[in-house]
Amino acid sequence: MESFHSKFSTKVMAVTIAIAWFSVLYLVLAVTRIDPDQQMAQKIFYYHVPSAWTAGIAFLMVAVSGGYYLLTKNEKWDQVGFASAELGTLFCALVLISGPIWAKPIWGTSWSWEPRLTTVLIMFLIYIGYFLVRQFGEAGERKRRVSAAIGITAFANVPIIYLSVKFWSAEAQLHPQPAMSQQPADVFWTFMLSLLTFTLLFIHLLRYRLHVLNLQSEISGIRNDI
Amino acid sequence: MNLVILIRKELLLELRSREILISMITFGASVMLLYAFAFRPTPEALREFAPGLLWTVILFVGVLALHRSHSLEKEFDAFSLLLSAPVERSTLFLSKWFGSFILLVISQVILLPIFFLFLQLPFPSKIVPFIGLFILVDLGISSAGSLLSGAVMRSRVNEFLLPLLLFPMVTPLMISAVKSTAAIMESQPFSQWKLWLQLIVSFVIVFGLVGYLIYDYVSEE
Repeated sequence: MESFHSKFSTKVMAVTIAIAWFSVLYLVLAVTRIDPDQQMAQKIFYYHVPSAWTAGIAFLMVAVSGGYYLLTKNEKWDQVGFASAELGTLFCALVLISGPIWAKPIWGTSWSWEPRLTTVLIMFLIYIGYFLVRQFGEAGERKRRVSAAIGITAFANVPIIYLSVKFWSAEAQLHPQPAMSQQPADVFWTFMLSLLTFTLLFIHLLRYRLHVLNLQSEISGIRNDI
Repeated sequence: MNLVILIRKELLLELRSREILISMITFGASVMLLYAFAFRPTPEALREFAPGLLWTVILFVGVLALHRSHSLEKEFDAFSLLLSAPVERSTLFLSKWFGSFILLVISQVILLPIFFLFLQLPFPSKIVPFIGLFILVDLGISSAGSLLSGAVMRSRVNEFLLPLLLFPMVTPLMISAVKSTAAIMESQPFSQWKLWLQLIVSFVIVFGLVGYLIYDYVSEE
């Protein structure tokens, strides 16, 4: 079998992401304007928002692949769901780390029960439960079905979680609400490039993880045959 | 008809042993006792905390019923026999949902007066909205709980997986329940807490529907 890293498409993707990543870093540090109120702290926005965006895409994929798995019972969909859940949780963690780093100098406190941050935290906890179920809970085909069900349920719950936290803590509505279309060109295009870079990174990592899961599945198949 | 028979089965099992209800009430009363000793705030502060304390007790107590409703079926492999019965799996979900709901309601009939007695709080004067709220939130807890309990029932460690999955999942329901209870206790007009009620109803509908649709896949062996 051809190695994942020796594939031409992988090399192209890896080089593209590397170039895009360093371009974003250069644009963020040297080109984009410094916000008069937030100073350098505002720069984290170029990484915080794309992380949240990527986590959102990942969790959507967990729900969609869960639905496909339940309908088709094709193991590939379970692998897509599991890999997406892992990456979604990773990007959730990045949101939860970068949020407080920004909040400390701006809000004067590292944590605020702000709706979006809280929703991400709750989703993070739900997905920790998802991994525990996969790790300790079930086995074989049943594990895949239960994971799919949890993925779908968790995603269906997102709007209710978001609205409840939003109404609960009206005083914590401090989250910036930037209208991206009204931003100056340097901010807008750097942000869009960062969004694209994170999305490409997600796709690349997902492909890599799927490759590894596929190999694991093949090895366990061979082991069973022996 | 099948649904009625299945709910009857759930309640009959409990009526014969009474193990879940007795555990729920004893556990709930013990937690309330701890609250009464652990917090000695002023009556005003207590009134502010009471809705949150009340709903955490109810959630803890609910987990007992929800866990037991499926783990009981593991004995003598009863669940496999139940699955082989000519009954739709979604009906099975409804029976688990309503069975746990009824147990939650019965336990609260006893636990609520104890809560207000132990914490020396006046019982809310608006009884009808108060009871209506509890019925709706119980429907929400039992719908999400029945689905998740069914999902983890066959695992070795289902007793700790259930709360780990259930607690973050019911966060919006708990927030709405606490806010609505506080509003009712303070005799606020309905328009002030209508929003929370809408969220609770949305939660019940979403989890009721999702459970009804996917319990088939979750319960399959």
